[in-house]
Amino acid sequence: MRPFLKRVADAAVYTATGLRTALPALLGLCLLPLAIVLSLTVVALPWLPQLVRPMRALANAERRRAGRLLGHEIPEPYPVPRGGAVEQALTLLRSPTTWRDAAWMCLHGLTGLFMGILPIALVPGIVFALSLPLWWWAAPPGSQAAFVDLYTWKQALTLPFLQAGVNLIVLLVLVPRFPYWQARLANTLLRPTRRVSLSERVEQLTETRAEALEAHGAELRRIERDLHDGTQAQLVAAALRLGLADRRFDADPEASRTLFLEAREGIEDALAQLRGVIRGIYPPILSDRGLGGAVRALAAAQPVPVTLDLPDDRTRAPAAVEAAAYFVVAEALTNVAKHSGASRAEVAVRRDGARLVITVRDDGRGGADPARGTGLAGIRRRVAALDGATGVDSPAGTGTTLRVELPCGS
Amino acid sequence: MRIVIAEDNVLLREGLVLLLTGDGHEVAAVAGTGPEVLPALLEHRPDAAILDVRLPPGFRDEGLRAAIQARREIPGLPILVLSQYVEETYAAELLAGGASGVGYLLKDRVSRVGEFLDALQRVASGGTALDPEVVSQLMTTRRDPLQTLTPREREVLGLMAQGLDNATIAATLVITERSVSKHIGAVFAKLDLPPSDSGHRRVLAVLAYLNS
Repeated sequence: MRPFLKRVADAAVYTATGLRTALPALLGLCLLPLAIVLSLTVVALPWLPQLVRPMRALANAERRRAGRLLGHEIPEPYPVPRGGAVEQALTLLRSPTTWRDAAWMCLHGLTGLFMGILPIALVPGIVFALSLPLWWWAAPPGSQAAFVDLYTWKQALTLPFLQAGVNLIVLLVLVPRFPYWQARLANTLLRPTRRVSLSERVEQLTETRAEALEAHGAELRRIERDLHDGTQAQLVAAALRLGLADRRFDADPEASRTLFLEAREGIEDALAQLRGVIRGIYPPILSDRGLGGAVRALAAAQPVPVTLDLPDDRTRAPAAVEAAAYFVVAEALTNVAKHSGASRAEVAVRRDGARLVITVRDDGRGGADPARGTGLAGIRRRVAALDGATGVDSPAGTGTTLRVELPCGS
Repeated sequence: MRIVIAEDNVLLREGLVLLLTGDGHEVAAVAGTGPEVLPALLEHRPDAAILDVRLPPGFRDEGLRAAIQARREIPGLPILVLSQYVEETYAAELLAGGASGVGYLLKDRVSRVGEFLDALQRVASGGTALDPEVVSQLMTTRRDPLQTLTPREREVLGLMAQGLDNATIAATLVITERSVSKHIGAVFAKLDLPPSDSGHRRVLAVLAYLNS
């Protein structure tokens, strides 16, 4: 009985607090015809975005409230506005989201008021009805009633109890369902339609694809520059020295020996640079040992102890994803060693459905700012290029957590 | 010495054969793929083996795995592992089965023929030859305890970890052998390692320390 009463009370509280959105919604409902007429007369069209703003704020408040009750977030369906005021207004008029918001505002304004007040009014209503048999005869008709004005004792001893019973049934049976109905209404009308979420997704993918192409292009240019200005130039210089040594060999063996040695040094430098370039393209240990083995090797080379939580290597992600994951861990651990002052770190890599989730955590001084420092910015760029997501949580004094999600496409 | 080589690149293989036979060694067998390595070693029982890490058919770390397995089957078999790149992890795996008779070098080092043949000789006689790059990786890992050493002591420690003896260290740093011994004594005291007079045992102690 007690949990049941608590449910009724909770429901009454929920719908009563719902008045905070229901009352403004009711006001909006009253102003809506005016807004529509104004917008249609073109004069007020440029102000439409401003007119829509309070409605959206209201809808957002209800999204959060209903989302808490339903246990899942109701995402905002609003795309980023583009163009001038008139263009924005026309987009708003065309967008189904605007009309769905308006429909919710009208329905919620009416039903929300009713649902908010009814549970509060029912309790005194029951007390009033039950007390009627005691004093109905003293009050003039019109100030006492149970369904109808009472004139006889027969009415006074039946109708008030009937009314109290009906009130009680409404209170105990219907009121606990109000919050659910209200949240359902919000969820149905306020969540993004499939078309809106798809078009948003397409927009986002177009953007990340452009970023990926840009990043790929930059990468190719960097590799070309490294090979052209570094390795190739070194080898040309070495070949030149060998040629010179060949010409002078008979006349001056000692000088040509020096040239030989210089050529060898040049080639050694070129090889070291080439190793660097190869490591930047695709670290060889990834193809030797897979992501797990490569991350283990990274962890072993750190000056601070690193705890690992790695998946088995039987499920391999695409090479590009593994390379990105490897760079994320390498860069993050470099940051830990260089800046965090941490005494230990944790690296976790796991498959979550079609995503690879990488977490790097340390117990250092925190306060890492993604806007500064090239390490985090580099991670973000690299991850965004693969349509992944990067999150940094670094409160001052309690360490840094980096979380990266990469789609694996399978 | 009788030597078995495992290397898939024909040019490099020919070069190695040329280099070794030119120095008076005998190349007993040449393996071109991973699965051929172990049978060749078991059949020829060479004085030393030179293995490339990455071999067909998988082009992963077949050479390294073969080396570890061979050392298990023929204890004490001296093996020099060559690679285009060095990884501390691989060094640790090689050294896990004991550091004596083990070498791990970048392929580039072959161009310094004298040093390369010295390293091979050292490995064949039960010594160690670790690439300077591996050693510097190992020393980064133990950065904190190594802070107590002076720069010169760190240099000496690095060269010792490569497997070099006192005379070579002295020649490399252009100091006397006496001051090398003094530095080594200081390093051992600061790192709290048991003192030992045999050069090779000292190398093993240092590697065990860096690898722990």
